[in-house]
This record gives sequence, structure tokens and C-alpha cells, in this order.
Amino acid sequence: MFDYRTQFGTQYQNIFNRIQVRGPSDPGAPLKGDLEANRVGKPFHSYLLGLIGAAQVGPFYLGTCGILSIVCGFIAFEIIGLNMLASVNWNVWQFIRLLPWLGLEPPAPAYGLSLTVPLAHGGWWLMAGAFLTASIIFWWFRVYLRARDLGLGTHVAWAFAAAIWLYLVCGFIRPLLLGDWGEGVPFGIFPHLDWTASLSIRDGNLYYDPFHMLSIVFLYGSTLLFAMHGGTILATSRYWGERELELVTDRGTAAERGAIFWRWTMGFNATFESIHRWAWWFAVLCPLTGGIGILLSGTVVDNWYLWGVKHGLAPVYPAVYPYIADPATHLKSILK
Amino acid sequence: MAMMNFEYKYRIRGGTLIGGDLFDFWFGPFYVGFFGVTTMFFTLIGTALIVYAAAIGPTWNLWQINIPPPDLKYGLGFAPMRSGGLWQWITFCALGAFVSWDLRMIEIARKLGMGLHTPIAFACAIAAYFSLEVIRPVLLGAWGNGFPYGIISHLDWVSNVGYQHLDFHYNPAHMIAVTFFFTTTFLLSMHGGVILSALNPGGDEPVKPSGYEDSFFRDLIVYSVGPLGIHRLGWFCAMNAGLWSAVCIVISGPFWTHGWPQWWGWWLNLPIWG
Amino acid sequence: MMSMILAPFRLMGLLLGATVGNAPRHPWKTLGLASAVVCGLVVWGLMSTLQTLPVNSVQLGFRGTGVIEQYNVHKADQLLAANTPDAQYAPVAPAGKPASAVYKNIQVLKTVDANEFLRLMAAMAQWVQPQAGCAYCHAVVNMASDAVYTKEVARHMLLMTQYINENWRSHVGAAGVTCGTCHRGQGAPKYVWQFTPPPGGYHGYAETQSGEDAPSSAADESALPYDPYSPFLLNSAPIRVQGYTALPSGNRMSIEQTNWTYSLMMNFAHSLGVGCNYCHNSRAFSVWDQSTPNRVRAWYGIQMVRALNRNFMEPITNLFPRGQRGLSGDVAKISCETCHQKAYAPYYGAHVVAAYPELTHSTNGSPPATQTMAVPKGAPFVLPTMTKASSIQPIAGPKEASLSVPVSSGSVAQPVGATP
Repeated sequence: MFDYRTQFGTQYQNIFNRIQVRGPSDPGAPLKGDLEANRVGKPFHSYLLGLIGAAQVGPFYLGTCGILSIVCGFIAFEIIGLNMLASVNWNVWQFIRLLPWLGLEPPAPAYGLSLTVPLAHGGWWLMAGAFLTASIIFWWFRVYLRARDLGLGTHVAWAFAAAIWLYLVCGFIRPLLLGDWGEGVPFGIFPHLDWTASLSIRDGNLYYDPFHMLSIVFLYGSTLLFAMHGGTILATSRYWGERELELVTDRGTAAERGAIFWRWTMGFNATFESIHRWAWWFAVLCPLTGGIGILLSGTVVDNWYLWGVKHGLAPVYPAVYPYIADPATHLKSILK
Repeated sequence: MAMMNFEYKYRIRGGTLIGGDLFDFWFGPFYVGFFGVTTMFFTLIGTALIVYAAAIGPTWNLWQINIPPPDLKYGLGFAPMRSGGLWQWITFCALGAFVSWDLRMIEIARKLGMGLHTPIAFACAIAAYFSLEVIRPVLLGAWGNGFPYGIISHLDWVSNVGYQHLDFHYNPAHMIAVTFFFTTTFLLSMHGGVILSALNPGGDEPVKPSGYEDSFFRDLIVYSVGPLGIHRLGWFCAMNAGLWSAVCIVISGPFWTHGWPQWWGWWLNLPIWG
Repeated sequence: MMSMILAPFRLMGLLLGATVGNAPRHPWKTLGLASAVVCGLVVWGLMSTLQTLPVNSVQLGFRGTGVIEQYNVHKADQLLAANTPDAQYAPVAPAGKPASAVYKNIQVLKTVDANEFLRLMAAMAQWVQPQAGCAYCHAVVNMASDAVYTKEVARHMLLMTQYINENWRSHVGAAGVTCGTCHRGQGAPKYVWQFTPPPGGYHGYAETQSGEDAPSSAADESALPYDPYSPFLLNSAPIRVQGYTALPSGNRMSIEQTNWTYSLMMNFAHSLGVGCNYCHNSRAFSVWDQSTPNRVRAWYGIQMVRALNRNFMEPITNLFPRGQRGLSGDVAKISCETCHQKAYAPYYGAHVVAAYPELTHSTNGSPPATQTMAVPKGAPFVLPTMTKASSIQPIAGPKEASLSVPVSSGSVAQPVGATP
């Protein structure tokens, strides 16, 4: 009889934790200097979280940057939320109903780069953007400083900086270069999607933007890498494959099998350390190239499709219709 | 070097899905196996067809090479080679190669006593490709609804199919897929970053053990999913990115022909709003 | 059974309580069950918002470009039924005398044969208000009286219909329009637009209405601007947002402006029941030679609707009682949907005006029109079928034209997909 369990090793797929062992909470790794006081909250355990990962929640590091970041973020959140609520006449029920549509729009293009835009016409957007940016910057310092306090490298902070780059390009740098805040991204679920679509239409099809192409490649590439890497670690978790840091310094059978798996599959393998370099670079290059692609749109290149035609990118499809002229210019030429 | 110094002890026969010892050997670093042979078979034919299709096309410009599917009038039948038939056979070969490759991964995982997580994840990617080139065209009744093979031409297809629905961003499954893509990339940057930062702390700092991954993220965001959990989470999000991409395109056309913004009418018109 | 009912509550308990102490022995089985039930309900709910097969696909561009229109057959059947023109009144023998010689107070249909005049009057009652009949416009005791305001409105609408059929063949083609094209048996056409006050209101310092970020019924329920009509179909705000050069050369259109154009384009697509690809290859929206011939026809449509709203609708604002007008006192105005009613061509291209030649030219006593329209018999209603490149007729330039004065003649492209 075909026993799928022996055939496919379903006992070893390790989808979630079947047994949760509870010891005392981990208070966190020692810090350089006397910063322990910064950790707040009493750790607790969540059974549900323990099904897929660590069960322990907390403690939490607050710190000056953390407090400032949370305060600024809260202010931005309130500005956006209250403006949305006002737009539905303070009707909470309608607020829930229309939430995906509601938005806080940047000033009209006519205001240029004015910093004294009336609140009702984009001033709130400027303020929300300023507070949100402050919140994000404070948070970045927090990530950087905590890594230093723990005696770690600052790789996470610099990866975060790549994402901040994309955020700043969309909401600040590109509007600055084009001379009006109105180019900025509105706050809101559907409104920011409309912005995305309209940016692509206005700038002649973002698919022809080579940096957009690269960004998508790194987005898909990151997803591919995590599927490969996550899969490899889970598949070797019988051999403690998830203890990556230990396996880098002292290669065990999990690392060997993980490496050999890819070597046999595609003739090449990363190591337990280098796969994380691949991962970091792919993830970082996604917003980095994406930001460049947005920054060039409308500033350096006005119509990406025509740019693609100019540089030999655009395929020429066989004509299905006779030549179609612009009726507006066609009429003008007749009148002349 | 064809073999790493610790590799010899792992090179043992067995674990194949079919065929016993048939093709159960290595070629350089590659494991061959029955499905390695079928992979090569489909890959060589498929690649030759692609090169042939490019050769009879108007250009060797890599960006512009375009191998389009047949006209809609051929329905689900065979089209003449130069009018989409090549696309059909390339698609067939691609699927043959992808599935063979996945089965070969299963064999390798079995040889190494590993779980099947990577072949399962790759199956999701194949499912997405299968949805685009087979399921959706079949539901719509013509191979002509598949996407063409070409760097820019497939982007043109994506653009136009999106605008068939006025604004594809409003497609709820597309929203979920994009969220999974972004989330996966976000998680990957954090995971890759924390591992590199523990291994490369700079200066005279010693390399840190696993516990620091948890400490770092608990300090930052209250919770660390842990060294094992992050791989579950990443693997889960990565697969879902592919699966929801498949869902978002299969429902577009076969199960929704209007603009995607209009789909949200059901939410606006729920009886609970009064 | 019991565990299934309890599962959601247990799931909530686990989420909230979150300690291992009293957790069931194998709670993941319960969790799995609960998740499956919840997921099943969500999937079932979402599936019910979608359509069912089959779908009819129409190719409008080179294969593999995705320039394809998808029509759900169930929806198409409903639309076909809803867009079938009324039966034509049988032709009548001419009386040999114009209407103005037989009836009093004839102002628009002066030169129409008296018998044909009666036939048209009967048809108009069917088109506009079958229930009220003649009484909708006429004081029945004295048909010549102008006591009922709708009679004067009808005169203007007759002039408009003649103007469209005579001067806008570039858009309406040989199919033409009748009163029924818009009215469909209703005194007030169903799909018209009026100035809309913004939803919500003004609240002190809060952001005032930006004209968007609410469900826009004009723009397919998106969050795009909810009044694309006023700037583009009444006024002549610029629609084109893409530049004509790869590198910047003075194109000052903004993303915000693009939102407005996008809203207008969504309105067109929504009104015609088509996607963007009916007119455009989205790889290059602005490039005419990448577009389908439908785009040329639509371009004339934009000019036509602007002319109709300005020259026919707005001038008769005061004929309507206050209650018939919009919240800001404006008259109901025309958009694409007014005639199209979600069909890519009104009545799917049926030649509705063929049986009423008096609607194809001016009949108020000015010199009779020299040209007569060669219109075929009523076209069969067909679902759009596969387009063959050879069936698309070339677009000839209009013979007399200007930007503000509409085109008076000239052959136009057949609607793609319709068999004439």
C-alpha cells in the first residue's frame, strides 16, 4: 500500500510547533552600558504565536527615540484619521464604510512648494507628512542605536534606510524637484493606489522605466529567495537548521545538507552566511532601484514609452488597423 | 571542483520517485535522475523553439523579441506554427521542464532526508504560471488569452490586461498578492539584516549567538517570531504571494469582466449601513 | 458538531487569553477546523460577488498584446435585452402636404409631410412617455397650445436630434439617434448628470473637499474625482496628460490632473460597458497609431457632447420647473452613458433613425438638406465577434470641419465588432 507518510516524510514537514515548552521568560541579551532600564513591560507568552514561532511577547525597548517616534507617528495618524472622519461629517459608521476611499490629499499643484498652504487645502497633508517623516527618522535612529547597544552590526538599519529612501522620493524629493507638493502621495488606501496608477499614466507607462523593471525583479527575486531560503531551513529543521548563527561558525549536517541540496539542484549553492547577503541585497535593492525609477519619472524622463522607443526597447507589433491620425491635429491641418 | 569536501558521504543511491536506479547519478555538481533527463529534454526543445521563433521574427533585439500566443479565433485548438503554434509548444515544454524540475527537487530532498518545503514552494510558482498560461485561457476559451514571451511584450500584456479592468489595483486578490510580495521582501530584509549584523558586528565585537535575533526584535517591535518562526513566516508569505497572484489573474476575465473598482459595490451596498 | 460551534469562540479565547495553562490538548486541531470554517465562509462570500462563466472575448489588437474585450455572456444577454429598440411604426402614405399647412403652431417640423408628422408624433409618445402619451407634452383640449412646458422642451430636443444626425455622423455614424436613444420610454432620461455638491461637508479647519476620495459613481466606484463631467463634458478642460517627447519639453500636467482625466476615461468605459482597451493600447495611451479606430470615434463624441450640453441643454435650463433641475438649479446634462447605456454602441449599433428620415436634417423651413443619408435597414443585433483586420474600414478625413463647428459629413469607421 502506498503510505504517503513514508513516501513524502510528512512527519518531518514541520509546519508548526506541536509541543511548546515553557521556561522562564528571556529577559533579553545583555547591553553595553547600563541600558537595561530601557526595557519595559513584563514578558508574557501567547499560545497562538507559539504555534508558528516564539511564544514570548516582550519585553520592549522604549528609549527617547522610541517615545518621540511614537508621539510623532500618533500625531500623523490622528491628523489623517480626523480629516478623513471630518470628510464624512463625523459619522463613524460611514467612516468604516468609506474608509478604503477616504484620503488626505496634498495641496493642489498651484500652491507650488509653499509651506503656508491653508490647512483645508493641503496644509494638513504637509503637517501629517512632516510628522510621519519625523516618526520614521526617529525610528531609524532607534534601530541603529539598539543594534549598537546590543553589539550587533547595523545592517537592519541600513536596509530600513533603503525603504525610507523610496518613501522620501515619492513624498518629498520628487515633489521638490518638480516644484509642487501636489505631486506627493495622498494618504489613504484607494487614493494612494490612484496616485500610483496616475503617476504611471502621466509619465508614459512605468513598465518602460528600467529602474522600475529592476525594482520588480528584486521584489520577485526577494520572494523567490525567501521561498528558497525559508524552505531550506524548514526542510533541514530536523537537523536544527534554524540555528543559522551557530551553523555558520560551526558547520553541522543541516548546513551541509542545505548547501548540497542546491548544489545538486542547480549546480551552485550559497553558504549559511552568504544566503543572507543575497537576501539583504535583493531586499535592499528593491526600494533603492524603485526610488531611482520614481525619481527619474517626470523629472529626467517625461514619457517612458517614448523613451523606450527612442532606445530600441519597444517591440513593433504588426499593424492591425490602417494608420490612425490624431483627429485634433488632422482637423487643424485641414483648416490650414 | 565537482564535489565539496564533505559531500562524498551524502552521495548515496535511492530516494527516487520512479525508475529505481535509472539515471540515479551525478553529472559534475548536478544530480541527474529520471526527472533531470526529462527536464533537459523539455528545456532543450523549448529553448530551441524559442530561438527558432526569434529567428523567424523581425528582430534579434533582446528587448523586442516577441513570441505571442495565437489569435483568439483559434480557440483552444492548435494554431499554425508561425501564428502561435510555437507559443503553444514552448508553453508545453516550459510546463514539462518546470514540473520535471520540481519532481527532481523532491528526489534530491528525499536523498538528503530533508523536508519538501522547497519543492512545495516551487510548486506554487508553477501554479501561478499554469494559471496564467493554461487555466485562465481555458476558462476564457482561447489560448490567445495567455501572455506572450518577450521582455517588453509581456509587460505590454500585463498593462493591457490590467486596463481591461480599468484599474487593476482595485482587484482585491491583487491587493493581497502585492501585500504578500512587499511583506516577504520586508521580512527578508529584516532577517538577512539581523543575521548579517550578528555575524559581522564590526570592530572587536564577538560574533553573536541565536539569542540575539530574538533580543533585537523584541526590543524593537515587542515580538520576535524566532529563528525557526521567521522561516515559516517567510516561506508562507512567499508562497502566498505566488498563489494570490494566480487568484487575482484567474478571476480577472473569467469571473469579473467589469472594472475592478466597481467590484467594491457589494461592500458599499451591504444592508448593515442603513 | 459541538466543537465546530465552539471553535470560533475558542479561537477568540486563544487570541485573547493566550496562556498555555488551560489550553486544550490538541488545540491546533480545533484551530484548524475553525480556520477552515471561517476561510470557507469568506471564500464563499467573495465568490458570490463575482460573475459566472462563460465569457465572450473579442480581440481588438495584435495577438498577445492583451488588447482584448471580455464580455460576460450572462451580463451581455441582459444588456442586449435592455438595449433593443422599440418596434418601428409602419410607413405611411404621404399626404402630399407639409405639416405646417395642415396643423397650427408648427415650428420645428414645418416641412415634414403631414401624415409622416402624425407618425412621428406617435413614435415620440412611445419613445418618451408611453403612459402619458400625447398628454405628456400637449394640452389635449388644444393640441396647438404651448401651455405644457414639455412641448417647448420637445421642440429643442427635436432640433438637437436633427443636429446630431445631420452634423455628427463622425460619431453616430449611419445608426443615428432618435428620442428613444436617450429616453427609452422615460420622460426624463435615466442616465444624465447634474452638478453634485460634495458629500460630507465643510468642517472648520478640516481638509475641504478635494473633489475625490469618495466612491465615484461616475468613475466606476473608484476614489477618483467624482465629477469628471463639468470640466470635460461641459467646459473644455484639457484631457491629454502625456507628453509627446521622451524627455521633458514643457509638459506641465500633474498627477492630480491625471486623476481627473483617469476619472473621465473610467466614466467613458463604464458608460460603454468596455475596458480601456476598446480604444487604447495601454502601453501608450496617448499615441494615436497604437490605438484602435474606436478612439477616433470617441474623440468626436467628446466634442459632440460638449456642443450638445452648451448649445442645447444649458440654454433651456429655464424651461424646466425648479423641481426638474439639480440642487444648484442646473439642467440635466448629457454624458456618454445618456445614449450608450452600457452598450459599446447605443442599441448595439441598430440603425434607429433609418425609419424616420425627418430626424436627419433640419425641417424648420430653412433650405432643405441636400444630402440624404443612405442608411441600410435595421441592423441585426449581434454580440461583438472576432475582429478581422480586413473588416475595419479606413478612416477618411472629414470633408468640412473645424474644431468648434462639428463635422458635417465623411465616412467613419464601423464600430469594431459590429457587423453592419
